[in-house]
Amino acid sequence: MIFKSKPLWGEKTKLKSSYDVVIIGGGLHSLATAYYLAKEHGITDIAIIEKNYIGFGGAGRNTAIVRANQRTQHNVPLYKEALDLWPVLTKELDYNLMFNNCGNLNLMHSEAAMKAARMTIATAQFHGVESHLIDAKEAKELVPALNISENITFPIHGAMFHPPGGIVRHDAVVWGLAKGAAKNGVEIHQHTEALGIETKNNKVCSVTTSEGKINTRQVLISAGGYSAALIHDMLGIKLPISVLTIQAMVTQPLKPLLDHVVSSGAYHCYANQTLKGEVATGAHMDPWPNYTTLNTAHYIKHQAEALSEFLPCLRGVRFMRIWGGLADMTPDMAPIMDGNNQVEGFFMDCGWGYFGFKSCSAVGKYMAQFMATDQCPDIFKPFALKRYEEHRLMGETAALVNYTPDN
Amino acid sequence: MALTITCPVCGKRNGYEFKYGGEEKGPRPEEKDLNPQAWCEYVHMNKCVAGVQEEWWFHKDGCGSWFTILRDTTTNLEQEKKEAKK
Repeated sequence: MIFKSKPLWGEKTKLKSSYDVVIIGGGLHSLATAYYLAKEHGITDIAIIEKNYIGFGGAGRNTAIVRANQRTQHNVPLYKEALDLWPVLTKELDYNLMFNNCGNLNLMHSEAAMKAARMTIATAQFHGVESHLIDAKEAKELVPALNISENITFPIHGAMFHPPGGIVRHDAVVWGLAKGAAKNGVEIHQHTEALGIETKNNKVCSVTTSEGKINTRQVLISAGGYSAALIHDMLGIKLPISVLTIQAMVTQPLKPLLDHVVSSGAYHCYANQTLKGEVATGAHMDPWPNYTTLNTAHYIKHQAEALSEFLPCLRGVRFMRIWGGLADMTPDMAPIMDGNNQVEGFFMDCGWGYFGFKSCSAVGKYMAQFMATDQCPDIFKPFALKRYEEHRLMGETAALVNYTPDN
Repeated sequence: MALTITCPVCGKRNGYEFKYGGEEKGPRPEEKDLNPQAWCEYVHMNKCVAGVQEEWWFHKDGCGSWFTILRDTTTNLEQEKKEAKK
């Protein structure tokens, strides 16, 4: 069965010459949008066009953390809904997404950071998201492996504890959504590259792919880190995006020692223990845009140093696997979701940076609503591209000292 | 992947000595008759080229020069430039 040619979601189909909707990119946002279009809105004549294979990009790259402890009033409700949808989707898709809501512990290393956390927690609580401020001693009670001594580079002052967040098995979400979408009639075309979008009177009329031309009225580009280049190449639309390689790695499997996702802004590092026992960790983005998806010795060293300071029991543990992927960063750390604005029938869902995984369920739901009704849902309105020229950038970063590609 | 950058003053150096300064977008727009669209285009908008692009760098841990180079964003390799830009 090694050379199994039948995809797990059903039979391979031949690409037709016309579809109601074409979705470029076979990642989580695309799969979720297709799933909801088919299931909630009865639009089933959909082709998902993926250059490689589904889950190749950000969907496979990410470290599976989900949470709803963002900073601004526009973002929190979206991530909250995404969080609430994991158990619902597990049931609906009849696929175990392995949602482990172990909670997120976000370490604070200064009084200024504690103050910023108070603000974020107030926002969360206002939106009905559970989030608490705890001191270093309480953090140590939650994660006994933490080093709360004063004797490290960034001593821990306290933490923001967000119990409803946690880990979802990212590959399971890809497979579950692909199965769910296909069951409802969606066609997934792997190894099919989108080459161009043709318009007539500023309306989308077709998509050219490596397997032929497809006539369509609506097209969505949600191709993760590759979206910005595709959108510029195909439609000449420039976006406030910088595409950076983001790296991650896992250690050898260990006995259970981390019950929560632990993250630290000052150390620029997050860590969680997978159900297999590996400590999955990451956060570093290359400080200059690139599409290499390569790891760097510079970062492996940084990661080992950071982890062994605040989780000293990890000293001497080996990294087992390393990998990199792309993050499409915007200056305000918030995504761009827009449709029918630049070109009629053209929708985009990009600029997620490293937030694409935790948002995919809710975004799929609302993007499907947007495309089915041609009416922008209220929850998406603040994320339109126009906000940049109106100078209404979102305040997801508490204090932006420098305008850099990686913020 | 390791990146090296050729500073016009200091020569070929480790990329971590430099700070990326954005895509080359031509001269700053004139203040006169400047509208939000044009300013936004200059300040925020990128082409995100997957390939060779012209871009600005600042030698922060060196001589402090600002200059442009050509770099392939898919390999992180600097490309030969026909003539240096002022």
